[in-house]
Amino acid sequence: MQNLESFINIGLNHFLYLSSIVFTIGLLTVLLRKNLIVILMGIELMLNAVNLSFIAFSSYSGDIHGQVLVFFVMTVAAAEAGVGLAIAVAIFKKFKEVDISFFQKLKG
Amino acid sequence: MNQDAIIVTVNIIKMSVIFLLMVQLVPLLVWVERRGSAFIQNRFGPNRVGPLGLLQLLADAVKFAFKEEFVPEKSHKAFFYMAPVLALLPGVLAFGSIPLSIPFTLSGEGWTHTFPTQVFDLGIGIVFVLGVSSLGAYALLLAGWGSANKFSLFGALRASAQMISYELALGLSLVGILLCYGTFDFTEMIQAQQGPLSFTLFSKEYTIPFLPAWGIFYQPLGALLFFVSVFAETNRLPFDLPEAEAELVAGYHTEYGGLKMLMFYIGEYGHMMVASALMATFYFGGYTAPGLSVEGVQSFLTQSLGFESANAISMMTMLIFHLVLMTKVILFLWIFIWVRWTLPRFRYDQLMDLGWKTMLPWAIFNTIITALFILARGV
Amino acid sequence: MISAPLFYGFSFFIIFFSLLVLLSANPIVAALSLAAAMVGVAGVFFALGAHFIAAVQVTVYAGAVMVLFVIVLMLFDLKRDESVSSALSRFLKIAVVGLILGLITGAVAMSGFDSSLQIFVHDPASITPTKKLATLLFEKYLFAFEVLGVLLLVIAIGVVSVSRIKGGTHAKS
Repeated sequence: MQNLESFINIGLNHFLYLSSIVFTIGLLTVLLRKNLIVILMGIELMLNAVNLSFIAFSSYSGDIHGQVLVFFVMTVAAAEAGVGLAIAVAIFKKFKEVDISFFQKLKG
Repeated sequence: MNQDAIIVTVNIIKMSVIFLLMVQLVPLLVWVERRGSAFIQNRFGPNRVGPLGLLQLLADAVKFAFKEEFVPEKSHKAFFYMAPVLALLPGVLAFGSIPLSIPFTLSGEGWTHTFPTQVFDLGIGIVFVLGVSSLGAYALLLAGWGSANKFSLFGALRASAQMISYELALGLSLVGILLCYGTFDFTEMIQAQQGPLSFTLFSKEYTIPFLPAWGIFYQPLGALLFFVSVFAETNRLPFDLPEAEAELVAGYHTEYGGLKMLMFYIGEYGHMMVASALMATFYFGGYTAPGLSVEGVQSFLTQSLGFESANAISMMTMLIFHLVLMTKVILFLWIFIWVRWTLPRFRYDQLMDLGWKTMLPWAIFNTIITALFILARGV
Repeated sequence: MISAPLFYGFSFFIIFFSLLVLLSANPIVAALSLAAAMVGVAGVFFALGAHFIAAVQVTVYAGAVMVLFVIVLMLFDLKRDESVSSALSRFLKIAVVGLILGLITGAVAMSGFDSSLQIFVHDPASITPTKKLATLLFEKYLFAFEVLGVLLLVIAIGVVSVSRIKGGTHAKS
């Protein structure tokens, strides 16, 4: 009975579990995929998971500082995506390649 | 739990009513567009089927429904089918968050309930509308990519680049009016536009009694910028580069026909309706009109027309204010159609120049000037 | 209290589309499912009462960043399949990530957060007023905000200059 109750009463823990699962999927995307742009997507996914836990903490503790932090994370994430994509486009124009293992050859 | 069920049911009903309202307006708008273009170009337009050609709409609907179901062989099927549905969504969702009239109250034996004439009152109004309408780019991208056709792809890329570019000018042109009202909420904005025009400068108040306190008098430049960027967002002429017939066949919906094509149409007209309603809400007083108050309408209904039941009075008042908003919306929709048949299309570089080098700096200028005026108000 | 069906609906939606990002072979499908996952995350924000952040999440992430990803992918028109790393290295990576997941969830489970701390969705008091957020942002965090503005300016210039690079030390031709 105790187990069922903790399943139905959604508390802070549930949001943290969700966040950690999404973070793990993002991490796996970064580690396992070889496409440069999909790797960038994995980073975005991880940042989203972190935002999720920020908001969960913020609304459960009634403190809105967490939301401001999410705002900053979003801005930096957008900037990061912009730079990442610009570099990807520049490399693709030069070498016609987005496979990350190819970039080992760029070593001086 | 019961309360939740009621709220969900009421919201679903409201959403369907708004969707049906939009879908019903589309054939009328198509008729106005065709007759209007004919009027502007000194032609007759569709005038054979029914009085004034009004039954042409029905004939068109039958034609669309019975067209061949066609899917290009090399297309990405899921994307191809998803795109028209996605094109419908943003318009409906955005329209749902705009207050269409004053709330009305229904009461019966032992219960009273006030229904806001707005599907969801979020308190963040305009941010939600911007967010939802920015999702409209996906419909175009999916249609372009899913069709496996180079004209479609070019149209989609152009459309999304154009939407992203003009979203900046759109957002910034709204900052001025948001500074003036100090709120995101549509209802509060409409409340702020009541009464005669008055403004405070250096702690002195000036009032112009013969003008209403509409946003257009506070933000003329912002209103102009907003209206122009909305044209670009809806992909209408003079910004209809994504479907430029002479270059791209029909842009992103080249491969679409029948009902799927019709859904893109409804999406486009839905965007136009949302834009017109936003224009009315921000700059022209929303569902209110100068000299029209809730008490005035109610006493007119009871004394001159002899209404007695409280429910009927409440409903009629709601309808009258709704008609005020619809009049404004239809006026703006006519401007949309008028402009389409009057101005020629831009070249692509001109379009980008206008967006980035003209609209954006002017929008920033407008924001700074507004901020300075608010500072000079001298609180 | 956030009702269980709502939470599990959102969770299923988010996890399904996140997995699609990881597993789909077509990068465009991955990008679109990431956009869907972000809309789902915005939905969770919304359910938690952070309305403004939810709307910004949809506008910035789903509406702008992901559209950029999709446009870039469409410009690339990738035909080749990705290379795959060796089975051993894949196994190691998955094992390490699994360990991390186990550690995080274990830490959460043992931290003993009081799950009776619950917010009420239909309670207007639980919705963060945007004004409060703005006051905090422009008073306490003003410096960070300005720094972010400078960062964005630097990024904008950087992106323009990177995308205009011609040649370089490792150019093929």
